[in-house]
Amino acid sequence: MIPFLDRPLVQFGLALAAVLILPLAMRSGTLASEILIFGLAVAACNLLLGYTGLLSFGQGIFFGLGSYVAGLGLVRAGLPAPVVLLLAPVSGALVAAAVGWVSIRRQGVYFVMLTLAFSQMFYFLAYTFSGLTGGDNGLLDIPRPSLGGTPLSGAWTYYAYVAVLFLALFAALQRVALSTFGRTLLAIRDNEGRAGAIGFPVRAFKVAAFAISGAVTAFAGALHAMLIGVAPLSNIDYHTSETLLIMTIIGGSANLFASLLGAGAYLLAADALSAIWPRWLLLLGLLLIVITLFLQRGLWGLIERAVALVTRAPPPDDPAPDRPVASPDPEAGR
Amino acid sequence: MRDRRAFLKDTLLAGGLAASGVALPGLLRGACAAEGPLVVGAPLPISGAFAANGKFASLGAAFAAQEAGSVLGRKVTIADIDTEGKPAPAARKVQEAMGQGTRLFAGGILSSEALVMGKEVTKSDGVFITTAGADEITGSDCNRGTFRWTVPTFGAIAQTVRPLVEQMPQAKRWYTITPQYVFGEGLLGAAKAVFQEKGIEHVGNSYHSLAEKEFSGYLTNAIAAKPDVLLLLNFGSQSSDALRQAVSFGLKKRMAIVIAWASGLEQFEALGADLCEGVYFGAQYWHGIDSPLNKALVAKVRESAKMTPNYSFAGSYQITRLLLDAATKAGSADGPAVIKALEGLRYSGLTGDEEIRAADHQVIKDYYLLKGKAKSAMKDKDDFADVIHSGKSFLSPEAAGCKMA
Amino acid sequence: MTYLFQILNGLGLGMLYFLLAVGLSIIFGLLQFVNFAHGAFYLIGAYLAYEGVERGLSFWVAMPLAALVVAALAGLTERLLLRRVYKLPHTFHILVTVGLALVVQELVIIVWGPIGGNVAPPEELSGVLILGDFVYPEYRLFVIGFTAILAACLWWLLDRTRLGAIVRAGSESPSNMALLGYDTLRINTAVFALGAGLAGLAGALAAPIRGVEPFMGVEALGIAFVVVVIGGMGSYAGALAAGILVGVAQSLMATLWPEGARLVIYLGMAGIIMAMPRGLFGRA
Repeated sequence: MIPFLDRPLVQFGLALAAVLILPLAMRSGTLASEILIFGLAVAACNLLLGYTGLLSFGQGIFFGLGSYVAGLGLVRAGLPAPVVLLLAPVSGALVAAAVGWVSIRRQGVYFVMLTLAFSQMFYFLAYTFSGLTGGDNGLLDIPRPSLGGTPLSGAWTYYAYVAVLFLALFAALQRVALSTFGRTLLAIRDNEGRAGAIGFPVRAFKVAAFAISGAVTAFAGALHAMLIGVAPLSNIDYHTSETLLIMTIIGGSANLFASLLGAGAYLLAADALSAIWPRWLLLLGLLLIVITLFLQRGLWGLIERAVALVTRAPPPDDPAPDRPVASPDPEAGR
Repeated sequence: MRDRRAFLKDTLLAGGLAASGVALPGLLRGACAAEGPLVVGAPLPISGAFAANGKFASLGAAFAAQEAGSVLGRKVTIADIDTEGKPAPAARKVQEAMGQGTRLFAGGILSSEALVMGKEVTKSDGVFITTAGADEITGSDCNRGTFRWTVPTFGAIAQTVRPLVEQMPQAKRWYTITPQYVFGEGLLGAAKAVFQEKGIEHVGNSYHSLAEKEFSGYLTNAIAAKPDVLLLLNFGSQSSDALRQAVSFGLKKRMAIVIAWASGLEQFEALGADLCEGVYFGAQYWHGIDSPLNKALVAKVRESAKMTPNYSFAGSYQITRLLLDAATKAGSADGPAVIKALEGLRYSGLTGDEEIRAADHQVIKDYYLLKGKAKSAMKDKDDFADVIHSGKSFLSPEAAGCKMA
Repeated sequence: MTYLFQILNGLGLGMLYFLLAVGLSIIFGLLQFVNFAHGAFYLIGAYLAYEGVERGLSFWVAMPLAALVVAALAGLTERLLLRRVYKLPHTFHILVTVGLALVVQELVIIVWGPIGGNVAPPEELSGVLILGDFVYPEYRLFVIGFTAILAACLWWLLDRTRLGAIVRAGSESPSNMALLGYDTLRINTAVFALGAGLAGLAGALAAPIRGVEPFMGVEALGIAFVVVVIGGMGSYAGALAAGILVGVAQSLMATLWPEGARLVIYLGMAGIIMAMPRGLFGRA
């Protein structure tokens, strides 16, 4: 743990730096946009995993839902993009609250399995009700949003649009994490019994965490549909849930910037490897095994070690997976 | 097993060569897009559940590029794009390739990925030509930049069910098994129309989901309906699973079995001759087709790659070749010029005389009805079936629902 | 009449599902380990049986051999890799086994190609049983019988032998086992190998029904999880009952409401977790 790096302003500064560096370092604006979009969804997954201790296998439900809301709103109902970007998180929050309300009744592996079952159920619902979702074809012809009458069809112009929204939501998630609510979530994660005994409505807090996570994930899903022009069935697939979870773990669940790191590393690695070797999934699999064995704090842990090396601070020696700490001083960064 | 191994080694080697040939120009792409090599994007499911199709299609595209050498004085190179068989990576990576200057694309095996890629490519005035199955590609979702080589569901049924009804006048009862999505519905609708016209009794249908692998329940339904013919309207590994299980239930002895939309040689290889014997298969392509281009292709591929071109290989070869021929004819590799050259193009293709209909960008070509042979009757290891019928059947562009913008 | 046959057919499926899931259940019971690589062992089992038959072995030799090789491979994986992961949180169980499953799947494509293949049922069982208007493949009947015998042997192994007692005691309190002087590490390896070997055996048995293709493990994993959750994690009887239940439900749905088959199965899974969190037969 290097407390300095966990300060909210430093975290936001890192996110801002990433947003500014991506256009300089990358040729593809679409890939860069996808990194930010998944970064949001992964941060939302991290809010559950790192901050609340809930391993949700159902994040794909909300991501796909956001895509469908974008498709239905923009194409079928002809709503303007800002309205759709409001509707997506609202519906995401509602569905996530419902899924969360049921799932949190069980704990541990049973909780995981319940979210897994939900993720499969929603996939088959979307598949069966093809009149609404387009079934296997998905909802096509989703337009990019426009600013001042011009659609953001260029890759980097859309990136700018996504970047602004990303930073706003990143800051909002930070506020949530630092609020009394966020600290209570950490208390629940660390000792649920005690938090309950003190008098916190533990279940209500967990459902609220789900709702926030679902809202942000659905928002990301809507942005994703606008990026690729389609709301595909695969966005609500179980694999999307799995991928979001893997990105979260790769990045490390220590803080919100780690989530952007996880999304970026996964997508960049997948993009680079798939261009080199058709069997690139083998390398990805090996990577996951290596991370499990040697990098349990995720890529964030790697950064901490590097910083520790440079600043000659004692290296983080805690071998256990890193987690957000319960009481960083919120004023420390000011 | 020996053969299989040797074959595998060769194809892997060829794949490796193709991949390494692609990586370099891929890196240089951004720098010299205008005057450097002529890059054709090949967006294919190279990883994921349709990797088998993607792998051979990638080889086919590379073969076409190698054969062409250079076009308009520019060396032709193929940029493999792994769609992972999903629309999202497909759309994203195609956008990316266009961002780097690529305008010509040949690929897209699954309907969902092909639909979205066609739209993306059209937005940037590019050309996309595909072998995917969905009717919408040259129907309700047709657009300026998208072309399709494969015969739509209407023709696939017309060229399989119709000739079989005539060949087997005593077979009056047909049962269908259909995957529940637009493609399956398209085949089923076309089949029902033929049944009605020919006075065939459609004794039942079982829908199944795209995730299904276990068909014994549906087969039990089919047995209960006592049909003369079992018509399988699913695709890829699902049709293989359905056929394999149908044969194990002894249905081959009780009824004729037809797979309306088979994948071609790759499917016969996976199933083996014993299962395929006596079964009817509808096919877009077969290496035994008697056309000049096909004979030349089969000879060349057997010579250089020690394999027989299968449907994925041949389809991809053909569409890549079409793009390159059109660019030559147009004297330009710009999207609009290539589109203009493709529209109405008549050429000698793998299936004989083919023509690209200008109104909906559908290639008018033959569809084939094959019948699986006994192992003892096979002349070589790939001689799984005889072509027993072929012909062209197409809806008019209006009837297909295409309104070209 | 159709329903009767759908039930018979579902029984056949269910026995296969039991075999597939029981290993996952045992591994979870003893090791509290969430194994997303279980489908990969099924996949290897199927391909080894395929390879054996292609090389001219009799299916009767290839099938048990495949299971044994899978068990050996699984034991090795456990010793070299998974053992280090048990004490980590579930997230890392998932991460490492998802990675392992990907590696296995891609290795299978590299070795055997992406197309897949067919495994003919053994000559003696290639026929069908004709019952009035209905038919049922002899091989599927054999699978029902063979798995039933196997289920009985497993029950005996887990309920009546010393190993079984150790396994059951270990799943209740691992620390006591160490106190009593048992080599828990070795027991863990043995149990993991047994569980994975059963998945491999299920793969080998399924090969003549389903053929082999590189992505068969993914589907199998999904079914195994459903069966284990419905039956109760760690419960042997639960896996048997839930396997049959899921098989019969799937088969009946093919007649009743095919489009909704999967939906109903997952709805059932969620319902069971809510109503009986420990599954049908799980210990509270």
